[in-house]
This record gives sequence, C-alpha cells and structure tokens, in this order.
Amino acid sequence: MAAETAKKFEALEAQAQKLMSVFIKAGYEAVSPAIIQPADVFLDVIGETLRARTYVFTDPDGDELCLRPDLTVPTCRLHMERHGAGSAKARYCYNGPAFRFQPVGSDGAHPREFRQAGIESFGAGDREKAEAQIVATIIDALRAAGLKDVRLRIGDLGLFRALMAAAEMPERWRQRLNHHFWRPDAFRAELKRLTAPSAKSLQHIPAELLADLDPVDPVRSERQLVAFLDAHKIEITGARSIHEVSQNLLSMVADAKADPMPAKTAALIESYLEIEAPARAAGARLRDLMRDKGIAIPAALDVYHRRLQLLSELGIDVVHAEFSAEFGRSLEYYTGFVFEIVAPSLGDASPIAGGGRYDDLMSAVGCTEDVPAVGAAIHTERLLAAVTGGGP
Amino acid sequence: MTDRFVLAVPSKGRLMEQTLELLATSGLKLKKTGSERGYRGELEGLSSVEVAFVSASEIAWYLKTGRAHMGVTGEDLIREQISDAGERVEFQKKLGFGYADVVVAVPAFWLDVRTMADLDEIAGEFRREHGRWYRVATKYVNTTRRFFAAKGVTDYRIVESLGATEGTPAAGTADLIVDITTTGATLAANGLRILDDGVILKSEANLVTSNAAEWTPRGREAQNVIMAALGV
Repeated sequence: MAAETAKKFEALEAQAQKLMSVFIKAGYEAVSPAIIQPADVFLDVIGETLRARTYVFTDPDGDELCLRPDLTVPTCRLHMERHGAGSAKARYCYNGPAFRFQPVGSDGAHPREFRQAGIESFGAGDREKAEAQIVATIIDALRAAGLKDVRLRIGDLGLFRALMAAAEMPERWRQRLNHHFWRPDAFRAELKRLTAPSAKSLQHIPAELLADLDPVDPVRSERQLVAFLDAHKIEITGARSIHEVSQNLLSMVADAKADPMPAKTAALIESYLEIEAPARAAGARLRDLMRDKGIAIPAALDVYHRRLQLLSELGIDVVHAEFSAEFGRSLEYYTGFVFEIVAPSLGDASPIAGGGRYDDLMSAVGCTEDVPAVGAAIHTERLLAAVTGGGP
Repeated sequence: MTDRFVLAVPSKGRLMEQTLELLATSGLKLKKTGSERGYRGELEGLSSVEVAFVSASEIAWYLKTGRAHMGVTGEDLIREQISDAGERVEFQKKLGFGYADVVVAVPAFWLDVRTMADLDEIAGEFRREHGRWYRVATKYVNTTRRFFAAKGVTDYRIVESLGATEGTPAAGTADLIVDITTTGATLAANGLRILDDGVILKSEANLVTSNAAEWTPRGREAQNVIMAALGV
C-alpha cells in the first residue's frame, strides 16, 4: 500500500518506539543506514531474481543506485565504513522503510514500501549464543508490541553442509549440489542424474575431440582443444579462458567415467531434506538417520542441540518450535541457523519476523576478513495487523 | 484524448511496409491525414477509426495504457514491456511477418555449454575465476529474467544493451547475450552460438487488442470490421 492513513502511520510509529526501546535496552546501538544504496553491492549479493523486485535507477552521473530492498546489507556497509576490515564486534538496531516491487500487485501483506525493524550482530565468536540472543530479543520486542501468540520455525543450513562434507563423493559433485541447494527442483534433478549410470551424457562433445580429452592429462587435452577450435575456425572470445572450458570438459568426461553415486548416499540426502518435526524430536531423528546410514556429523549436531539449550535458557518455548530441513532454501545469503516467527492469524506465507546467520555477507560487501554475522528483522505492518486483529 | 477507436501501426521500416500491405490486401484502405509526414491516418469507410503511426516499441506502451485499442507489433516487444501481458492485452492473430527469435547465445567455443543447465553449472566456477557473476547483455531485460528464473539459473548479472548486443562478448562488456535473430548469421559472424534449449520466444508481428482501453459500442463495431477483414 503506497498511501496509508495518518492514523496507521501514527500506530506504526508508536509500535516502532516500543520495538526500538527493547532493542536498545538489550544493548543494540540504533543506526540509520542510507535509504539510497549503490545497486552493485546489492545485485551481487542478492542476484537478478531479487533485482526484478528492487527499484533500481540511474542518477544524472550515470551511477546505478537502488532503493534498499532490505536493511541488512545497508547495515553491513555501515559497519564496514566504521571499522574498515569489519572484524570489530558490534550490535546494531534499526527501524525504517525498505522497498520491493510486488509483481502480483501490492496488497496489505505484501506492500511495496514497508518498514523493517531489526537487529544485527557482527563479530560475535560464540555463534550459538549470538543466535539465541537474536531470537530472544526479537520475541521480546514482538511481545512488547502486544503480540501474544508466536510460533517459532527454525532451520539449520550448517547441518546440510556437514552432511554434504561427510558423504563420500567427488569434490565437484559436492560443489554442484551445494550450488543447486537453493533451487530444490534443480537439486533433485542433479541428485537423480548423479545416481544414474554414466551420469552425464557426452553426446554433444564432437567425437573427434572427445577421443583426445583425458582427465589424467589436462595439459595435452587443452592443447588438443585448441587444435580442434583452430581446425574448425571457432574463435576464442570473451573473458572466459580456454583453460576454463577445457577444465569443465574434462570434469564432464571424468563424471561420465566415474561410478554413479550410491543410491544409499542419495537416499540419505533426500531423507534428510524431508525432515520436518518439533525441534527436539528433529534432533533425535537426525541422529538416528545418520547412524542408520553410517555417517557421523557430531559437531553440527552438537551445535544444533546447544543452540536449542541456549534458546530454552533464555525462556523460549523450544518444545513447540518446528524444525524443517528445507527451511532457508529460498534465502541464498544465509549460511547457518535460520528462523521465522509466524502469527497464526497471518499464516505461514506472511511471517512477521525472520532472520539467521549470514557469515559470507560481510566479505560480499568488501570485507577482507571473515566476520561472523547474524541478524533478524520484523515486518512491522504485519505485526501491527496481527496485534490489532485487523486484516494484514 | 479522443473518443475514437485508435489503431496503432508501426511508423517505419519493414514492419510498417508489411502492415500496410496486409491492410491493403485485406481491403482496408488506409489514408494518411494531416501533415505530409503524416503520423495519423484513417481507414476509408470507417469514420470512427483513427490510425496512429507509432514506433513498434511504443505500440506496446500504447496498448498497455489503453491509448490504443488495437495495434500491430512484435510479440517479443509486448512480452518484454507488459509484465502481465495476459491480463492487459489479447493476442488476436499472428500475422505471418516480422519473424524474430529471442535467443540465448554464448561464445561458440564454449563447447562445454550446450544447454541452460550447462550454463548454470559454470556459474560457480566463473565467479571463483573472475570474481563476479557472468554478464548477460540484452535489451530484453524482463524476458531474460523470466526465462532464466524458469530454467533455474539465478547467478548472473544483466547488462542493458541498446544496440550491437551481439558484439558485447568480444568487446568484453558481457559474457553472453539474449537477443533477436532471424537467420543466426549475425550471431555466427560474432562467434556466438544459440543454446540447444535457448530459444526463449519465436516471435512475429501480432494483431493485439488492449484490455485497458475504453471500449464503446462503436469501438467494438470498428474492431469487428477490422478483425473480419483480417480474417480473425
């Protein structure tokens, strides 16, 4: 909704004050990152899909800018500006507008201009503790704003990573599956392909070239590729090098020669992704599943249980929290723990708050050091709708 | 604004010539009015119809906003410029000219990339090697995004290109392109090859009506006469 009534504006302002005072009391410094951001950083981090929903424009100098589609990346940039390398510890909170084009036309639950109130924590070494604190602070704030009924949904991309690292397979398969993780259909197709005999069809590689491609002798193979291109007058253009093309062709050949992925491994990955259960029961099911298939990821499981323990110590009802292994797959910048708060009156499609760990984001905005980062934001219009009981 | 029925036709090039030919052979006599250069015209015997000569790419905008009731333009331009084309306009008839395929083309020497799935597969390695996502040059920004999303390709950047798109990979401003082609000769001359599943749209000139325009009974009447003449 572009236009809002003065009354609603006042109600949102009053609500924001309650949220911010909880954040500030919890030790988060209030900041106001710029609304207009350089488009480049965003587009690199969020990709073209979200770009279609971002208001991007060119200023009279020809610079590409955008209206921020969220406040997390702007806060990362603010932290970078203040601390250079960015490894300094800091905790921030904010409340302000963010903008997203809504393809189906904007309605109350999906407005094109909405206010986000949120918190971000950078550089905290004890990851589970920082994550539990973020969840607890967000829930405190929601309660302070008058929300009574909250449901917590959690996921943990760290478990998937650990599982992939422990399952035996060539590194290039692992890379490819990790790459496809964010798109469930492509992931399933890839997994199926890897389990089929002679995994990748080589029929598109010209036979005379194929005979000369030998993964054991990459130098000679590349020379043969160059000779083939010469003979067929195919020119080499663009940034991608002949070496990259050659390497990729060789890994296709290697895939075709390799034994397919054992059905057991594929089944393990699939069964993991199907797990959906109350948070504590999910932990037990994970352990059973891994034991059945002879794979151990003790460190990741310990992290998972420790986090639940810390959440519980902070007074959060983990008994009724739901875990879903699939959860977080649509949000490419998360790297570990993810969560969402849903209000029953608004339903799962319109979560009131959400967040998680995004340890790669600081380096994506230009930080040279690895910076642990975790944060969350509240969709304040939805919160107001849930509290006042009106439609979203 | 006028309360007349507005028919938008291309104002220049082959597309204009072929549209005028079509109207003539269908028995609709077009007369230019006003100044010599004539950006307006009328159809003989149909006093309620005003013909507007507009550039092909603007016709989509005329139809989207309801400025024209009916128009002749390429399907590619309609689909690119109207995100909800199914709602705002109706395709009445393919006209059999103005053929152009909107395609994804990569450097021909990428022998490892034959399909969109192959393209997706090199994304990670390309980024590791070059420190950025690969760039796709195109003037069909929305069409490209929709097609890439449908194929599950997400890790790329679009570079808007307003001309000579096929030269951008060689010039280094892009790594691959989405562009129109009729014979493929220009692509081949620039060392590019169409992906096996890279034909996004087989486009041709279409007779299109606007759902956004204001339709009066007289307008409907005019539409019926024109459509009957064109054999819809």
